Amino acid sequence: MYQVDRAYSYIFYVSLVLYLVSIFWGLFVTPEDFVQGNSYRIIYLHVPASFISQSLYIAMAIASAIFLIWKVKLSAYLVRSIAPIGAITTFIALISGSIWGIPTWGTWWVWDARIVSTLILFIMYLGLISLHDSFSNHEKADKFLSILVLVGSVNIPIIKMSVEWWSTLHQPASITISDKPAIDLVMLYPLFGSIVGFAGIVACLVILSSKLQILRRERNKSWIKNYV
Amino acid sequence: MNIIKFELLKLRNKSRGWLGPILVFILIMVAFPLTVEISNKDLDQSFFAVLWIAVLLVMMLATEDIFLEDFNDGSLEQFAISDISFPYIISVKIFIYWLLIGVPISIIGSLFCLGFTNSGNLAINIFPILLITSYIFINVFSFGNALSLTKGSVLGTLVTLPLLLPLLIVLGKAVISINLNLNYLGFVALLLGVLSIIIFLIPLIISYIIRAHLE
Amino acid sequence: MFNFEFNSLAEAFLMQSQNGQNHGIFVWSVLIIVFVSILATFIFYKMSIKKITKKLK
Repeated sequence: MYQVDRAYSYIFYVSLVLYLVSIFWGLFVTPEDFVQGNSYRIIYLHVPASFISQSLYIAMAIASAIFLIWKVKLSAYLVRSIAPIGAITTFIALISGSIWGIPTWGTWWVWDARIVSTLILFIMYLGLISLHDSFSNHEKADKFLSILVLVGSVNIPIIKMSVEWWSTLHQPASITISDKPAIDLVMLYPLFGSIVGFAGIVACLVILSSKLQILRRERNKSWIKNYV
Repeated sequence: MNIIKFELLKLRNKSRGWLGPILVFILIMVAFPLTVEISNKDLDQSFFAVLWIAVLLVMMLATEDIFLEDFNDGSLEQFAISDISFPYIISVKIFIYWLLIGVPISIIGSLFCLGFTNSGNLAINIFPILLITSYIFINVFSFGNALSLTKGSVLGTLVTLPLLLPLLIVLGKAVISINLNLNYLGFVALLLGVLSIIIFLIPLIISYIIRAHLE
Repeated sequence: MFNFEFNSLAEAFLMQSQNGQNHGIFVWSVLIIVFVSILATFIFYKMSIKKITKKLK
């Protein structure tokens, strides 16, 4: 925990600077998009959030597998502490996506498979939190939570496939930017920077959240008194 | 063989357990046209939407106390330490529930389909899909119930509900392709594939969960 | 490479596109929502860690 405390500030400042610089670059320096106009600049806020929200679930699944196989108690804490962070990033992705939808699609919500799957992800994060909180016995709750996360991770490839089916049957009108030829390099660099920076910020949040989790669960242990 | 008979008798005598969900299903199917204009030509479109949601909710209702009573009177503990393998007992239990609730609902659902859409072809084709779907739903919801065994059934089924939503997309696609006379066997094969994985995996997971509950 | 798209602050606020629509409000509201929610999460976790350490001491 001491090492993590020391690393935390480095991660935080580096990723914050990277994120802010690439957001600034994306908002003011990159040229206007020909198809969507200036509203495409939301991509620098939307794509990192939706990308990280899915990778956080995969991280949770890996942590819960580690917990179930090797009984590492820390990874169970990690599963519990990632869940609210994942809910927040998914919320950001949903909100920014629907605001982006107003100027580009003319409506703030489309029952498109990708949007619905993000909503499902959000509901699942909330459900995981409520399941864990309903048990007063934390060890049992850890076990059930990690089982549910593992079973739920089956959903991710299914969701990916359903996106393909959906777009084959329904002609997507002017929905995605992936129809265009590949993104120009001038736009790609700040996007990449904002993804990495946002990942760093989210990692800091996960560190804080798991620290809170450790302090809560281990409050009766003697080493925690030395640490505090 | 003995255990199948035993579970069948147990569920048959508890008529609230199997008759209630079927009646709720019939009630939903009878009541929803009242909210739509009778002559509305979109009725058979909305029929399928209501049908899948009704099956989903009824299965949620049906698995409400699938493990709870056995857990409370201690017979689940007896099963867990008996000679017969515990996942086998659980899969038998789920199968009996499907036999007494899922199969009647599939028959009634395809009859309603005949009544609403006036198309025998559609009603015949929807029947196997309903059978497979209800079995998948019952499996996943009993997993949810096992998760929140002592905490009431609502929480666990709510948590597992999002797992089933991609399946609803597949079902919608299957109905569209039946309507357009396209080949829908791919969707049936996909549902069967999902079922064949679930049918083996879910009893194993549930037995692990219930053992954790009994600790 | 490093030349600004907008000449003044007001222009950057409105973000008028080639088709004449002003997209600034969407971009800025998303920016505010993202920043506020991240900041709120940070503050929440910092506060609760502080509270629990105080209790442990």
